[in-house]
Amino acid sequence: MSFLKSFPPPGPAEGLLRQQPDTEAVLNGKGLGTGTLYIAESRLSWLDGSGLGFSLEYPTISLHALSRDRSDCLGEHLYVMVNAKFEESKEPVADEEEEDSDDDVEPITEFRFVPSDKSALEAMFTAMCECQALHPDPEDEDSDDYDGEEYDVEAHEQGQGDIPTFYTYEEGLSHLTAEGQATLERLEGMLSQSVSSQYNMAGVRTEDSIRDYEDGMEVDTTPTVAGQFEDADVDH
Amino acid sequence: MLFYSFFKSLVGKDVVVELKNDLSICGTLHSYLNIKLTDISVTDPEKYPHMLSVKNCFIRGSVVRYVQLPADEVDTQLLQDAARKEALQQKQ
Repeated sequence: MSFLKSFPPPGPAEGLLRQQPDTEAVLNGKGLGTGTLYIAESRLSWLDGSGLGFSLEYPTISLHALSRDRSDCLGEHLYVMVNAKFEESKEPVADEEEEDSDDDVEPITEFRFVPSDKSALEAMFTAMCECQALHPDPEDEDSDDYDGEEYDVEAHEQGQGDIPTFYTYEEGLSHLTAEGQATLERLEGMLSQSVSSQYNMAGVRTEDSIRDYEDGMEVDTTPTVAGQFEDADVDH
Repeated sequence: MLFYSFFKSLVGKDVVVELKNDLSICGTLHSYLNIKLTDISVTDPEKYPHMLSVKNCFIRGSVVRYVQLPADEVDTQLLQDAARKEALQQKQ
């Protein structure tokens, strides 16, 4: 395999989380021999007995999983799907003559890491999950920076008769069914809490108070204060 | 925020994740952003036979193209209202 290179094994400086010796590596069904798998925060590496191996960058790892099929000839193993091409020969990747159709298709390479110690698989999987979380993609322009330009509700409301009517918040409320109102309160309750806190049903309306809302009573629109619904049980 | 709350309500439900490399995986949503699925099945096992014996998987969030949700688990009216509300809040 020409893509195998010699390099020093990752250590603490690279954030080594786990090293698993006596692990066979298989590339697209082809065995590469037995070596040591290094699960480090910087990259995933494998080195055979002679010091030759390869590294995988986490942004290229599409998914990883545990295969628990003992009847598989490999036995239980760690499956890793990589969004990259691994050439078996020394030819450059940009070969124009053959397989031009592959240019549009994302390359997929399947690795399987088969440790002799099957009890280590769970820990290997978890270590990889942790390392993957450390390598988010760089921010692109259509992520959290929503500035309202992508979808302008007002512009759509003007002079576009063939699209469904959009309500302002107050109008929309009166069109909600009782059930819709109840689930809206619940979602508002969820929005006002931090993601990490336990989901609780504090914001859910009881049957009685739902009926109270049906006469169009306005709801507090700012869900920034926890417990906002405590004083909202007003009789109408 | 809504994105997080919405996915939180889907944990434990069955979804189909379609990756950018066209692979589709059906499973129970365990965690999100990076997507962990349990009890998975591959919708095209002929193309990826190595995934047949996999029960749980971790999918890098950035390779997800779509997450297909069960229609009866999503109140689209509510979702529209909540999304509109959040958009208004972000403008303030």
